[in-house]
Amino acid sequence: MDKTKKLLVMRTRELANPRDILKAPELKKLYADIVKQPAEKRGEFGRAVNDLKRALEAEIERLEAAQQDETIQPIDVTAPCGINEPLPEIMTVDHGSRHPLMTELERVVDIYQKMGFEAIESRQLDDDYNMFTSLNFPPDHPARDSYDSFRTEEGFIPPAHTSTMQNRILKAGRKDLETGKHIATVSYGRVFRNEDPDPTHEHTFYQCEGVFVSRDATLGQMMAVLREFFENYYGQKLNVKTQPAYFPFTEPSLEFLIEKPASLGGKGDGWLEMLGCGMIHPNVLKEADIDPTKYSGFAWGGGIERLVMLKYGIDDIRYFESGKLRFLKEFK
Amino acid sequence: MIISLNWLKKYVDIDVATDELVALIGARLVEVEAAIDLAPKYKDATIVKVEEHHKIDGSDHLNLCQVDVGKKELVQVVCGANNVKTGMLAVWLPPKSVVPETYGTDDEFMLDSRKLMGQMSNGMLASMRELGLGDEHDGIVEIAPDFAKPGDSFAEKFGLNDTLLDIDPKSLTHRPDCFGVIGFAREVAGILGQQFDEPKILASKLKALNAGNLSVEICDTKLCPRYSAAVVDMKEMPKSSGFLTQDDVILCKAGMRPISHIVDVTNRLMLDTGQPLHAFDYDKFVKVGGVKNPKIIVRAAQPGEKLGLLDGKEIIMCEGDIVITSNNVPVALAGAMGGANTEIDKTTRRIIIESASFNLYNLRGTQFRHGIFSEAITRFTKGQPAGLTAPVLSEAVAMTGGRVLDVVDAYPKPVKIKPITVTVEQINAALGTNYIFDDMITTLENVGFKVNINNTAIPIIRKLNAIFDEEERKRGEIPHDHSIQSGVDTLTVVVPWWRTDIHIPEDIIEEVGRLNGYDNIPLKLPTRGYTMVEADELGDLKSKIRQILSSAGANEILTYSFVSERLLNQVGQDPKNSYKIINSISPELQYVRQQILPNLFEKAKENIKDGYEKFALFEMNQVFWKNAGLTNEKVPIQYDNLGVVIIDTKDRGNYYTAKNYVTQLAASLGVDVKFVPRKKSFEVETYFELKRAADLFIGDDYVGNVAEIKNSIADKFKLPHDTAAIEMGVDLILTAVKKSVSEEKFDKKSQFPEVNRDLTFQVKSSLEYAKLEDLIRENLGTQKLWFQINPVSIYQGDDKSTKNISFKLTFASYDKTLNGDEINQIISQITKRAQAQLKAVAV
Repeated sequence: MDKTKKLLVMRTRELANPRDILKAPELKKLYADIVKQPAEKRGEFGRAVNDLKRALEAEIERLEAAQQDETIQPIDVTAPCGINEPLPEIMTVDHGSRHPLMTELERVVDIYQKMGFEAIESRQLDDDYNMFTSLNFPPDHPARDSYDSFRTEEGFIPPAHTSTMQNRILKAGRKDLETGKHIATVSYGRVFRNEDPDPTHEHTFYQCEGVFVSRDATLGQMMAVLREFFENYYGQKLNVKTQPAYFPFTEPSLEFLIEKPASLGGKGDGWLEMLGCGMIHPNVLKEADIDPTKYSGFAWGGGIERLVMLKYGIDDIRYFESGKLRFLKEFK
Repeated sequence: MIISLNWLKKYVDIDVATDELVALIGARLVEVEAAIDLAPKYKDATIVKVEEHHKIDGSDHLNLCQVDVGKKELVQVVCGANNVKTGMLAVWLPPKSVVPETYGTDDEFMLDSRKLMGQMSNGMLASMRELGLGDEHDGIVEIAPDFAKPGDSFAEKFGLNDTLLDIDPKSLTHRPDCFGVIGFAREVAGILGQQFDEPKILASKLKALNAGNLSVEICDTKLCPRYSAAVVDMKEMPKSSGFLTQDDVILCKAGMRPISHIVDVTNRLMLDTGQPLHAFDYDKFVKVGGVKNPKIIVRAAQPGEKLGLLDGKEIIMCEGDIVITSNNVPVALAGAMGGANTEIDKTTRRIIIESASFNLYNLRGTQFRHGIFSEAITRFTKGQPAGLTAPVLSEAVAMTGGRVLDVVDAYPKPVKIKPITVTVEQINAALGTNYIFDDMITTLENVGFKVNINNTAIPIIRKLNAIFDEEERKRGEIPHDHSIQSGVDTLTVVVPWWRTDIHIPEDIIEEVGRLNGYDNIPLKLPTRGYTMVEADELGDLKSKIRQILSSAGANEILTYSFVSERLLNQVGQDPKNSYKIINSISPELQYVRQQILPNLFEKAKENIKDGYEKFALFEMNQVFWKNAGLTNEKVPIQYDNLGVVIIDTKDRGNYYTAKNYVTQLAASLGVDVKFVPRKKSFEVETYFELKRAADLFIGDDYVGNVAEIKNSIADKFKLPHDTAAIEMGVDLILTAVKKSVSEEKFDKKSQFPEVNRDLTFQVKSSLEYAKLEDLIRENLGTQKLWFQINPVSIYQGDDKSTKNISFKLTFASYDKTLNGDEINQIISQITKRAQAQLKAVAV
């Protein structure tokens, strides 16, 4: 069988029309031989013949593609235009659009930067240590399950939260702390969770996360920073409140809520859950070689999609990664 | 999780309105999704007595009943239930009342008086289902004759003037104590600033009565820290009276159903305390084990062991499951469900009640492996404390009403509680508060913590504090922390055994902050110095590129980071070079993408299908491929790429359109870009047509490619032939731009008149355009002129061996107005050089 396969593949390469190989007598004979096999071997033999045919078809396709591409004439790639062709024109600005998620993410990061935070983009493929272990998730801890993270064959993780940068941020800022400065950094970017998409769920989404560490960071400071951010973001004074929460990497842990802003139709009644936050767990500081008896910090993280959906009244999160121009061209 | 407010009130005085309580619980414990007031739902339901009933002629099941509703006149109701009988007490829903089952739903059913089989029927007699208390619909609800009298309010008699709190317990996964009404009530007391009065149940002691018949062996205390069990002789199982009881309604309100005396007792206790219980038939248990004296052995399940469960299903146990055995024969899947072989039935006389604690991680596994999500296992998976088993067992035994024959309490390694030391300063420093010693102690002691202070001066200081504070408060000042001034600032906190979540000082800080209300903490921004924040260079560059490309009419899109094996094969990328997701949602999302462009091809195809004819899509995102290797941190090397695909279904957008985008982008970034014919394909960019592909260089740095994609590949995505695309490394651009910007100089414009000259050269067809342009540039440069070179056209006539390249040159001298001779001199220098070096003939 292997021999026949090699032979036929070789012959395919020599044919002017590679597709003719499917008419080869050897192949016909193999098909005819299937029924002659003893019953118990027939299945296996049949599969092998089919595999052979598939291999030939793949080779035909490759050769046909090569033949097709063969006819292409080279061009002068250094020239401004083709021979006897007009100079190309750039499309006008009215055709263009910027993705609303990216625009909003820029705006969010910009406010934090103006407040004194450095910014770095979060990695999109990371390891278990940064995603979980360094953040005080013991191995097999049930809290890991709720992150529904993906995994590669090698055990790498497309991170389920931008906190995957936290240990790096803390380690990088340790020296600053020792010289009397503080750590103030936001990490932002794309994260992933193993969730079936529906109008309110996506397996791919964006987050922005903040980390602050100093000699005297407090929960009151954290809430003040977050209120400052949202007041800037929505351009109005806002009432804020919290709800207790549980995250392994913060203690205490909170959900942060803001009063529904006027720009979103708020009339001083409703509340919006904006993000999770808390004082950084001493184990997380220790893991970055920061002495939790000397320094304390807070961290928070929230999604970007929700901000955009609220702002524009978008009712289906799946639009964002749909790539549909009908949607995208709405956002100049 | 449903918590009855009436039940809560058994344990704690609630002196605030329900909405305020809900807000406080939300801010200090857990989000209350809804507070459901049952009163309006049941306001019309009335207990009535059936005085008379007879079959309606011509109907096989309808009865005409005259019922006493507590008023002078009897009311006529037609009832189809087969259990209706004269003399019974039933629940009547009068005309104009809404059937509770439908109350608050989109289609509420309002009863009225109407004729059935020619007889007037006023309202109805209700079943459990119609009352919204369960699924039973076989007959109407019957009430014990001595429990109520006609005309009594059903809601009042059965505790339905109640409010149910619907709790989303997702943020309570570390709080097993809150999965019982008592624990929840303790928190409510703490939130309201009250000392919680610990109920007797939790303190009840198991009477040490070991008759020596029953024995318990725990094989691994990690799997099962404690197993308490009692044998109870019931003589005869109390038969169900068939009457609805208050106890039944308690279960119904929590979303459970009354089943049998013993099961109901265990369920009510579980709701109350959070401790799940299980009951075995003692005699079956003994028989299964095959020994005279029953022997409970708790051990890890052997993978492959089988057990028939109470729900009739047979399961095959897996590694990680815990099994309860009778002398090694499985009788229950621990924490999840009992076995059919020891099920309690009508003939049961003696029972074994189990009250145990199990490893939450193991039970989590069991839960997901076997798909069992009962109220019991939900509680076990939060890690019920070992301290709870014995008191609840003792209470259960008492509630069964039977005679205790034997009690065993296996607790080989009792949990030792270590006190936690924390200072007042630590607490205030973390929270940003100014709480005094007393506030902290009261807060903690209210919910069962014991706070020890070794310093005898404390009581005096505490008193002093109170006096000072009172005066300061009167003056409107925030009280100082006098205890710190007195040098006594350390709390030694003994954690109650039910708080399995408290281990470190930060946990105590959380308790103080939370129970006093985080929202009462003053908000104060941290101070910062005036040092510059380091720029996010890559982010800033991406932002610029986004701006430039969208201004050039391109549309930014985002596509998934995961692609299918089919897509990789279509574009000729090797799937083995992609990181493969082992738990992907679908084959469509199984591999991490190696480049941006393949996704853009797919999206371009979809948008063409949607009717768009001319557009450019671009995306900036991270890509990875395996052969790139790992970083020092041993994580995959990350590439920040920009992909652009340019589509023109009418006019054939081609390589030069794409090249123009690159030129534009480079110009806006303030750098020059060089286009160098691409020599060979790179493993992740297999789809470029090499005969029409260029490598891009900024200075000496390679930054990406612009190329047409192979027609064979374009066909696969139904894209126009000669479609061109760009893929660049944004990270590479950043490095290159940083280098070259530092070399950038001000392009000083001359103040003397500019000269325009058109210049056309005939060259060999094979000559690269750039060679000629470079020559002109170099030449004008050496002549110390300000200049611009604009290409006009590239023309080829019938003679295919040559082509004509035309330029428009604009130049000026920096120090004079050029005259005709000088201009000719400049031009002739160029033409001579071109002739000599490139055999280009000026025409």
